[in-house]
Amino acid sequence: MSFLAFVEGPLFYIAAAVFLLGAAWKILGLIRLGRRPDLAPPRGSAAWGFVRGNLRHFVPRGIFTRRTWLHIVAGYSFHIALAVLVFFGAFHIAFIERLTGLSWQALPRWGFIVAAEIAFAGLIVLWVRRISDPVMRQITRAEDHASTILTFLVMLTGCLALQESHASLRAIHMLFVDIWLLYFPFSRLMHAFTFVLSRGHSGATYGRKGINL
Amino acid sequence: MSDKKENRAQIAIEKFIEFTDGEVASFFEACVHCGECAEACHFHLNTGGAKYTPTWKLEPMRRSYERHLAPLSGIKRALGLVPPEVDEAMLTEWEPLVYDSCNMCARCTLVCPMGLDIAGTIRKMREGFSAAGFVPEGLERAADFVRKTTSPMGITLKALTAQVRRVEKETGIEIHIDKRGAEYMATFSSMEVMGYPEVIAAYARLFKRAGVDWTISSKAYEATNVGVQIGSGPFAREIVARVVEAAEELEVKYLISPECGHAYGAVRWAGPNMMGRQFKFEVVHIVELLDRLRREGRIPVGRRDGRRMTLHDPCQIIRRGGLLREPRRLMADSCADFVEMKGAGVTNFCCGGGGGVSANPRAHDLQDAAFDSKQAQLDAIEGLEAVVVPCANCRSVFEDGLEAREMELEVLGLSELLADTLADLEAEDA
Amino acid sequence: MRQRLPFIFSEILPPEARFFAEKSPPPLAGARTARLFALLALLTALIFTLAPAPLLAQSSVRPPGNAVTFPDAPEPGPANTLGTRSDAEIWDMIRGGSPRDPGVIFAPTPEGALMTTTGQQWRVLRERYIRKYAGWAPLAVIVLIALFHLIRGPMRLKEGRSGKTLPRFTLTARVAHWFMAVVFILLAISGLVILLGRVLIAPYLGREVNSALTSAAMQGHNLFGPLFILALFWLFVKFVAGNFFHPHDLKWIFRLGGLFGHHVSSRKFNFGEKTWFWLVVLVGAVIAASGVLMLFPWLTDDLRFLQLATVLHVLGAVLLISIAIGHIYVGTIGMEGSLDSMLKGEVDESWAREHHDIWYEQITGKKAHPETPKMKQEGAP
Ligand code: HEM
Ligand code: HEM
Ligand code: HEM
Ligand code: SF4
Ligand code: SF4
Repeated sequence: MSFLAFVEGPLFYIAAAVFLLGAAWKILGLIRLGRRPDLAPPRGSAAWGFVRGNLRHFVPRGIFTRRTWLHIVAGYSFHIALAVLVFFGAFHIAFIERLTGLSWQALPRWGFIVAAEIAFAGLIVLWVRRISDPVMRQITRAEDHASTILTFLVMLTGCLALQESHASLRAIHMLFVDIWLLYFPFSRLMHAFTFVLSRGHSGATYGRKGINL
Repeated sequence: MSDKKENRAQIAIEKFIEFTDGEVASFFEACVHCGECAEACHFHLNTGGAKYTPTWKLEPMRRSYERHLAPLSGIKRALGLVPPEVDEAMLTEWEPLVYDSCNMCARCTLVCPMGLDIAGTIRKMREGFSAAGFVPEGLERAADFVRKTTSPMGITLKALTAQVRRVEKETGIEIHIDKRGAEYMATFSSMEVMGYPEVIAAYARLFKRAGVDWTISSKAYEATNVGVQIGSGPFAREIVARVVEAAEELEVKYLISPECGHAYGAVRWAGPNMMGRQFKFEVVHIVELLDRLRREGRIPVGRRDGRRMTLHDPCQIIRRGGLLREPRRLMADSCADFVEMKGAGVTNFCCGGGGGVSANPRAHDLQDAAFDSKQAQLDAIEGLEAVVVPCANCRSVFEDGLEAREMELEVLGLSELLADTLADLEAEDA
Repeated sequence: MRQRLPFIFSEILPPEARFFAEKSPPPLAGARTARLFALLALLTALIFTLAPAPLLAQSSVRPPGNAVTFPDAPEPGPANTLGTRSDAEIWDMIRGGSPRDPGVIFAPTPEGALMTTTGQQWRVLRERYIRKYAGWAPLAVIVLIALFHLIRGPMRLKEGRSGKTLPRFTLTARVAHWFMAVVFILLAISGLVILLGRVLIAPYLGREVNSALTSAAMQGHNLFGPLFILALFWLFVKFVAGNFFHPHDLKWIFRLGGLFGHHVSSRKFNFGEKTWFWLVVLVGAVIAASGVLMLFPWLTDDLRFLQLATVLHVLGAVLLISIAIGHIYVGTIGMEGSLDSMLKGEVDESWAREHHDIWYEQITGKKAHPETPKMKQEGAP
């Protein structure tokens, strides 16, 4: 079996399984930890608070943006562009089609490049902000760097293989994808799922008090 | 010796774990260490200290969670990737962060992309600190006073009665103590009884006008709860129980929580959970009650105060209490020149003294630094003459802060403002 | 009489066409070559003179001036091809002019030329000189810095850290700097792979590996190129204040920046930093412009611009890479306390007093040196 076949085949399936099971295990574990029942008579709805909390925190509050705009711009650029790369890159769609048979409209190549530029710019800004500010240095742990750098490497190796002339380059990209998937459930990357719970819990707590933060 | 030490850390860790429910766990999992919360916390903003980053204050509890409780932590432990155990040195280092530099004001939650409720988590975390005996001296002393006199400032029943009698003389209104079957039972904060007896007078005048049947209990005249500030569940329960039992004994329909933020949170929101049952009465905040009475037309709009005024938003009443509109409606009715501060409402700054900070002399400098944010808000309003602060604790923090800055500004409570607008009507009556 | 033949890019001539050249004697200083290099020399000289002397001494990309002695510059022409005219004349017709005629090289399209030979010159320059020597410049810088580090050692704070700090750069400025640093390093690595892969990678790891790496590097380089432009603008906006030259800087130059132990005073940025800033901005602009031209070659019809672009691009890149190594050295292990400004935004007061005393006095209102400056001159390690 060639290296490419290995990272696209067995290793990928193992990584995908670890990713799915690990993430599910973690989420279920968090839900299972439960929430103390609240006996205080409610003034508002906890369920609506859960939903509202989830939506509200997508929108930055004006009063803070004078200090945080760069972060918000970089964060949104990175995440949106990354999502576009992952779900609308022609190669990714082809890969997903091979796995599942599903397919949809891909971005043209120039669109892919533009999205990649934005995603890289955003991620680099997020990361350099992490190393150049006392607050960020205080709260950043090795695993934060690991998550960022691993994600960066997945993106980078993907873009390095853009010429589609060498199977080895594609294999390297796939290798990093596999590592990334294996690492995901154990790391900070889980925030992609856990944000629903954390915003939801706060939202529910506050929603119950009749205040929608 | 070292055994005992480990024990203290162990006690804290066990409490941390006990209080890490699904909510707190999902906070720890979701925090992306983006540092945004620092931009909301007045302790960080005014000192620049990186250690005052809100999420960093949770570090010991987060560590215990990751080490012992987190799903999948077993695999990490096998690989030696879990964080080291929390030890006594860490607790000692964090004690000032947890008690002196957090007002549990929840401003950081607003800016956090993941919506972490740091304030609520700090409250739970203090359980571990207090159980292990890491509590600032000032709070410890207040707790001692409560144990001895039921009041954190040591106000005895005799002292209260004396104040009430003085107020009766001043206003000419009779105030009933221990009147069984009254509709409302009022409670106060120690600061009000001791420093601002005009609040009791205001209650008397307003309730007379509105025809409210009210009383004060001799067993529980204070609703402040130092147990909540220290973070000791059993102690907090004891204090709440006293109030609840007194109210149920007097068979009142409503318990009035004073113009005090944390008392409201303790009785209204945490109380039933601490007692493990719902109450036989309803808890209303005085501001909520006054607003209700005003809308029912029982407190007429009297002569408006013409001074240029603004309103401070006590965190536990507004942001964490849910009473956003009530004080504003009352303000709009009661003063002619009401100006909101920049960032008023849910995003307003804490005064810097909440969450037990003002009862903790060690934290005084920090509290004063944090007040800089408030000063900036006040300074930004041209020609400001008075600030309405519907929380007795905030109010004393304001007075300290303004005095230290030699700022001339009157500070008053909302019920006083309302009572004063009735002066003309009272004169007519008389 | 001179015949003008249609313009043809020399690159498309089949290799057989070049065998004529084999026997002819090499030309002496061809005027056309000389002109091309005079132009290059002018541009790079501008760049080089801006650089601080101590750092630049080592980063000698081969001085373009001596390029006139190419052993394999274009030949006057093969011998006796048609019999009647001299070979040189015929080749001059094909090229549209004598290679010794300065007018030819600057004519936009040599009128009547059948082929141009600038492509040949360009290729020779690239393959024989740039590819061969470019890698030496950064290496030389590294060696010199290592020597400096071993012999003189890093610059320590004479008074030690005071523990008190002064704000120096805002968060956005720091982020702009590191954004540039990351993008620059990624571009430098990928660019050097493109440039040196054939000499450094292929012989050792094989052509297949080199081919894959070069393909990857090309993609990466093209991707990060545009981010470099963004980074350049951002860096410029954030750092231009304080980076204008001042007569005061002359003293710094005379004392060689204090590298050898003399006390130098300076404002927010010293002469070395200012020079670095302008080098990054100006050379960076040249690199960016030439890079864009290479990315979008259809922007021009004149191939000589493209040829010039590749040459300027690589010379500029090698120059900046070389000096960046020095910059990184001073910014990290070379000078105690420097990195704080970029990691925390604050510097220690001792650092400010020792390296930027006038700035220190400006922002604190205190005297930087209670002692007389004379005493301070001795203290270096
Ligand atoms: C699979 C999807 C996702 C991936 C791969 C991903 C990846 C990342 C990475 C690598 C970082 C770290 C940047 C840094 O360390 O500086 C990050 C940060 C962040 N992510 Fe995500 N993310 C994903 C989904 C989400 C979602 C759905 C949200 C929305 C709620 C989100 C919100 C954030 C926030 C707020 C940050 C903080 C920015 C910062 O680090 O300064 N992410 N993400
Ligand atoms: C990765 C390694 C690098 C490190 C450790 C580093 C370190 C530093 C430090 C410490 C300073 C502040 C000096 C002061 O306080 O005055 C600085 C300034 C600066 N750096 Fe870097 N740097 C690096 C890479 C780069 C790169 C690659 C570039 C540009 C291509 C660059 C361009 C600048 C500029 C323009 C300044 C502003 C100061 C001036 O005007 O000269 N740096 N760097
Ligand atoms: C706006 C930014 C840039 C763009 C658009 C750009 C574009 C390019 C392109 C298209 C090439 C390929 C040339 C060829 O086919 O050989 C190239 C080569 C190269 N670039 Fe850049 N580049 C940029 C910035 C930089 C920077 C900042 C550096 C140095 C740090 C750099 C170093 C190099 C090197 C060393 C080469 C190899 C030169 C050669 O083989 O002739 N580039 N660049
Ligand atoms: S709750 Fe308030 S005081 Fe506490 S960390 Fe958050 S912003 Fe700071
Ligand atoms: S803002 Fe929220 S997610 Fe970001 S570091 Fe603070 S607590 Fe964590």
